[in-house]
Amino acid sequence: MSETEPKTAAERGTVQPLQTTSGETSERTRPEWVEYEFEGEAKLVAENLDVYYGDDHAIKDVTMEIPERSVTALIGPSGCGKSTFLRCLNRMNDRISAARVEGSVALDGEEIYQDGVNLVELRKRVGMVFQSPNPFPKSIRDNISYGPRKHGDIETGWLARLLGRSDEAAERELVERSLRQAALWSEVEDRLDDNALGLSGGQQQRLCIARALATDPEVLLMDEPASALDPIATAKIEDLIDDLSEEYTVVIVTHNMQQAARISDQTAVFLTGGELVEYGDTDRIFEDPRSQRVEDYISGKFG
Amino acid sequence: MAGATRSELVESETSAADAVAAGAVGLSAVLFALSMLALFEGITLSEPVAGVPTVTVLGALLVVLGGAVIAFGVGSRVGLVQTNPSSSAGLIAASVAGLSWFVVAGGFASQTLALGTVGGLLGGVAVGGLAFAATVMTREDVGSTVPIGAIPLLIGLVFLTGLIGPGWVWDLGWAQTASFTAEFVIPVATLFGVLFAGWAAAKAYAGFGARGRRTGAFTLIYLNAISIVAVLFILVAFTVVQGVPGLLTGVEFGPGTGPQTSLFGVSFTLPLSVPFVMNGVALLNDYQGVLPAIVGTFWLVVGAVVFAFPLGIGAAIFLTEYAERGRFTQVVEVATNGLWSTPSIVFGLFGFAFLVPRFGNQKSLLSGMLTLGFMLLPLVVITSREAMLSVPDEYRDASAALGVTKWETIRSVVLPAALPGVVTGVILGVGRIAGETAPILLTMAGGTFVPGGQTVDVIGGFVFTSTPPFVANPELLQATSALPYQLFALITAGVGLGSNVADPEGFRWATALILLVVVLSFYAIGIATRYYFRSKLRHE
Repeated sequence: MSETEPKTAAERGTVQPLQTTSGETSERTRPEWVEYEFEGEAKLVAENLDVYYGDDHAIKDVTMEIPERSVTALIGPSGCGKSTFLRCLNRMNDRISAARVEGSVALDGEEIYQDGVNLVELRKRVGMVFQSPNPFPKSIRDNISYGPRKHGDIETGWLARLLGRSDEAAERELVERSLRQAALWSEVEDRLDDNALGLSGGQQQRLCIARALATDPEVLLMDEPASALDPIATAKIEDLIDDLSEEYTVVIVTHNMQQAARISDQTAVFLTGGELVEYGDTDRIFEDPRSQRVEDYISGKFG
Repeated sequence: MAGATRSELVESETSAADAVAAGAVGLSAVLFALSMLALFEGITLSEPVAGVPTVTVLGALLVVLGGAVIAFGVGSRVGLVQTNPSSSAGLIAASVAGLSWFVVAGGFASQTLALGTVGGLLGGVAVGGLAFAATVMTREDVGSTVPIGAIPLLIGLVFLTGLIGPGWVWDLGWAQTASFTAEFVIPVATLFGVLFAGWAAAKAYAGFGARGRRTGAFTLIYLNAISIVAVLFILVAFTVVQGVPGLLTGVEFGPGTGPQTSLFGVSFTLPLSVPFVMNGVALLNDYQGVLPAIVGTFWLVVGAVVFAFPLGIGAAIFLTEYAERGRFTQVVEVATNGLWSTPSIVFGLFGFAFLVPRFGNQKSLLSGMLTLGFMLLPLVVITSREAMLSVPDEYRDASAALGVTKWETIRSVVLPAALPGVVTGVILGVGRIAGETAPILLTMAGGTFVPGGQTVDVIGGFVFTSTPPFVANPELLQATSALPYQLFALITAGVGLGSNVADPEGFRWATALILLVVVLSFYAIGIATRYYFRSKLRHE
């Protein structure tokens, strides 16, 4: 599996003659094998999504539907755009000034790339966990209650207590619920006021998951959440993702194909150049890929 | 592996030769301390130590040191001592030896032999070149000991024979009557000789080779680090020793001795009287003091920080979090850096021409505060910017992914994480502005004002009125004194003291000591604040 990617558009053109130029994009029809039939409702629908970083075309015309209450894995070689795609789902790419997004993403049928979208509400509903654990340099309790507190959902502190509006009981409940959901409660219940940076890497990552769960999201985006962790911590995170999928829609980016095969219900394969090449049931993708390129990638012949 | 040298893996036994080298290293450390003491007048060269003149003691020790180093090197060359020398001492050692011998021989030829500049140059180049060649071309054990060890040996012999004694003066014969006295030359020469000998001895102790060079470098670095700490310590100790007598003049203990003080409306008498810090300068005082200057300096620093801190942090937030990285931020960065290196007298002139006419057309505390605030501003911007840029982007990403707005993120995550760095910057700035004299001279004090006559009362000075602007503070608009200005006035003219102070010299040193204490206490407050904020970020 090669980690390099073509540097220029011309190079890409020679490597992948299938690429269309911009004039032809609208006329091109999507390959049929991108269609994926599933039961239940689609939580997120991306249609003809293109992302550019300056002149670099990072994602090309991606269309996919993500079913609710399931685990969707995005796999592919480095630089194939899977993380970029993930960051489109809660508009984190807005934070990169050079990034430009075209196309449409709908959450429960509502377009998120339109004027008047409340980013606070969107990100409350679509939470995110990052590659390296990034708890704030605050206490465990403050890490969990940070989001709800900033949203005004709970009020704490001496001023709230003075005004008789303190929700300390609600905060305690929220902290316990989130930490239990993230399978961390039993390990930290007696040191909630300690600094979160004192936890181990795996605990920190579960704390980050708990922090994302505290805002009561519907979708949880995970960007290689276990890549910085050891096998035992990884196993705990995987078990956790499995539990979470009963209640939440989980979209996970991973480099690790075994991990995708273990935990996901459906898998989307992105390949170099930012194309979604194949999307379907995880078992089917790994046992019987329809695209030759996907088969090569999964069997390790092509990166 | 042809050509690779093998040395013993384990070298545990200490031979007599090792003891000689270790003794030489220890002796150079002792001599280093002695020459530092002599340089700062801790010991007097003309006074004898245990019946022997100090110069003779120094000379004898230098001869022993140089001799030991040379003996070790030669002993290693003839095989008496087991070492692992390289084939050459290398260019650095050769340059050091060549340059020192150039100076020694050149000085000898031009001054002692009176050969003039050309003769001195030629002699210096000849002997220096010889030392360079001798260092490079011989094996390391000889090359790094003999030419370099000969320098302390020579210096020691000069001291021993009395060529340079305590009464020696080297008159340069310039129009400005510049001259080097023995009080300066002897310690400095000893210092250099010791550094060379210590370096060579450290190399010898580790058996030359790569290990020897490492040990030699470490020895030099440690000696330098120690001397820096020593200089700092000597400076503070010097000020304290000189200042304490003036500070303690007329000190009284016991109930009822101190001045009448009122705090929050409660009036009481302090059980301690230190006139120097509790009095101003007045005709009828038994002892004169610098209380007005202390209070002036305090309010000056407080005012400048209160002005510059919020403005500077606001600018830094805008530059790091909101403004696009580009031409504009670069221009602002260059401008702030330039502003920080602007001479303080220029700020003072600005305050004099711009602020003074706008605040009652007289020098005032407020003008001084604002001028120093302008001086502090660029540093607050620079350090706050650095501190905010060093806050990891992961925190911002995590906060944004929780749906928290940018401003809330800055307030709750970025600022707390950046605060220790910001505070450090402000401490450095306060250290600078608290000691500034020029801007104060132009904006706050001086002129017809007698320094130290009146204590400013900022808190008690607020007056509330029923007409706009409703609140006024005449105290802020009056000229007052500050410690650096007071010191300046005392030294240049003895302004305002007259015959009231019995010991003007002690009064000055005590003022300097108080200034040092005030600045150091601002430092202490800053460091404590930084530790407080940092402890909230860390899990230890």
